[in-house]
Amino acid sequence: MTLTRRDMLRLTTRGLLGLSGLMGLTILGRFLSYQPDPPPPQRFDAGSTDAYALESRTRLANIPALLIRSGEKYSAIGLTCPHLGCTVETRADGFTCPCHGSRYDSSGGLQQGPSTQSLPTLRVEIEDGRVIVYR
Amino acid sequence: MALGFFLVGFSLLLLAAPAHAARGEPPNPTQIPFNPRLEKPSLPENPTLADQGAIPYWGICLSCHGDKGQGLTDEWREQFGEDKNCWTSKCHASNHPPLGFNLPHQVPALVGAGTLARFTTAQELKNYIQKTMPWWNPGSLNEEKSWTLTAYLLRENGALAKDQQFDIAQASISPVHLPIRERQSEFSGQGWLAVLLGLGLAGSLLFANNPIPRPAPGTRPSFLLHLHPPTIPAAQMRWRYTLGAGGLAVFLTLILAVTGALEMFFYIPTTQNAAQSVQIITFSVPFGALIRGLHFWAAQTLVIVGVVHLLRVVFTGAYNAQRKFNFLLGLLVFAILLLMNFSGYILRWDEGIHWALVVGANLLKTIPLAGEALYGFVIGGDSPGPATLTRFYTWHIFGLTLAALLFTGWHIFRVRRDGGISAPPEAGERLSRVELLRREILTMGLASLVLLVISIFFPAPLAAPIRDAAIPLGDIRAPWFFLWLQGLLRLGDAFWMGVGIPLVMAALMAALPYIFPALPAEQQGKWFPRAGRAAQVLAGTLILVWLVLTLLEGVR
Repeated sequence: MTLTRRDMLRLTTRGLLGLSGLMGLTILGRFLSYQPDPPPPQRFDAGSTDAYALESRTRLANIPALLIRSGEKYSAIGLTCPHLGCTVETRADGFTCPCHGSRYDSSGGLQQGPSTQSLPTLRVEIEDGRVIVYR
Repeated sequence: MALGFFLVGFSLLLLAAPAHAARGEPPNPTQIPFNPRLEKPSLPENPTLADQGAIPYWGICLSCHGDKGQGLTDEWREQFGEDKNCWTSKCHASNHPPLGFNLPHQVPALVGAGTLARFTTAQELKNYIQKTMPWWNPGSLNEEKSWTLTAYLLRENGALAKDQQFDIAQASISPVHLPIRERQSEFSGQGWLAVLLGLGLAGSLLFANNPIPRPAPGTRPSFLLHLHPPTIPAAQMRWRYTLGAGGLAVFLTLILAVTGALEMFFYIPTTQNAAQSVQIITFSVPFGALIRGLHFWAAQTLVIVGVVHLLRVVFTGAYNAQRKFNFLLGLLVFAILLLMNFSGYILRWDEGIHWALVVGANLLKTIPLAGEALYGFVIGGDSPGPATLTRFYTWHIFGLTLAALLFTGWHIFRVRRDGGISAPPEAGERLSRVELLRREILTMGLASLVLLVISIFFPAPLAAPIRDAAIPLGDIRAPWFFLWLQGLLRLGDAFWMGVGIPLVMAALMAALPYIFPALPAEQQGKWFPRAGRAAQVLAGTLILVWLVLTLLEGVR
């Protein structure tokens, strides 16, 4: 099989057009992949330690999390359902997701699906007498 | 004389004693010092509801919510003396719980910027007051008191003008955060529109032998006539064959385009202003609620009409042979319609749509490999924010609209290209396009009337604007056309229930004309042809599953 001059030119032209098309797609992909919204904050100042009574469980709606103080120990349960991201509701015996009905016990452990994970435990640190929750 | 005073004082002490004993902590029973801030408000001569509401507010609400609706501030707490609690009866009203009550720690303000943020309409505010207030005896306020309190709060917040009477009948269309307009003329305007349209339609039905004049030979037909073929088989335009669903869908699309464009004059697509601007369209713009209602109800009706159209096509075996491709186009248009409906729903940007957005976006994340990229593409960040709203707005008014117009146009073009609507092979009577146009206009008129009446009596839904700290809503619902998805998601793995199964259902529907044999010619153009049984069962089952899931979730 011989490659004529005409074939060669045609092949080159088409190849170049194809490449430029691919390049255009790459540019489009890069263009669309930019995410203008800044990532949400990971660190929350939950105020002074004095605001939390001993053995208290306080709902912090903006994180959202449940801050638990037992003695001098602080811990926090994230209230975002690991299933599809709704904020769970606090019940007497634990948490329920209002969207799809997942249930968790009062320490955040998974009781009933459709979720497959327990509620996350968030890192809590005391910095200069203030409660800092990390998401 | 002195003895008399002594006796009275003694008997008062006796009366008061059991109460003190029961509580164990004797409060100070001395006389109450005069406090001008606790003085009973006086009623004007012809009191409005809001004027009347000042009385129960003073008697019941004031102790916690403050004399100016400022909430339980430290300054207000000072009014209650030493223990800063409400122990003493008759400070400002008589119906005090016998043992007094502890003031809660935090009581929200009711008057001023940022207050009452969880309420959109006066009806919601009234329901909340009646159900939950006062906190020490919820449900004790009667209907009338709740209304007067609502009117009072609206007036104090500037929603109701000083001497304006609050109209209870219009509470569900009276805003809490915007000035309430007098709506009499508007309601009668809508009513007259419906009546005139109805009379006109009734007239044209009664005098049905008054067709659109046939154009004289040699002259060019009008634009509307020109869109139609000169004559079409009578079988193709029979009501009980087509159900008018396809034509109705086109008409609803037109209504959506026009009302949508009108809404764009007032809608502000920013996270700060979106929900507020939807409220302005609904409550402040004259006939805004009507335009928004028409847009909303046309969109919801279109989903139903689309399903009816799809079922008609399958049940009459119209998906076969040369119409296979148009069947796919139709399904594509339906998918675009659902996306349009969902993106429009998100544009409200209020608490009512908040979780549908979160769930929908997180569903994308569950898709293997492409999930994260898709999420970023749709949301424009790690969590829903300003970029999300801009993108949904752009998709709704431009991207999806363009696709919808393109594919709807192609779908309609293919109908003529494929030889019109499927019909029996024997050549029957043919009717002129004048008759077709007449029927179309009649359908459009009837549809307009129905939409108009629905929009007047059932306002399109609204909720409070999204705030940083989400209000727990208790009852979170997907939009009705995605209730089936919400139901599925309760059952198992998020990807399979939320993405996998819906895609399989769509694929089954799309494959329908390709997996089932073509109908013999003599069975075409009839309801439920024998040769199409399997296809009918498949599509019927799919729609039935969809319907049952929707209903199950709906009544949950």
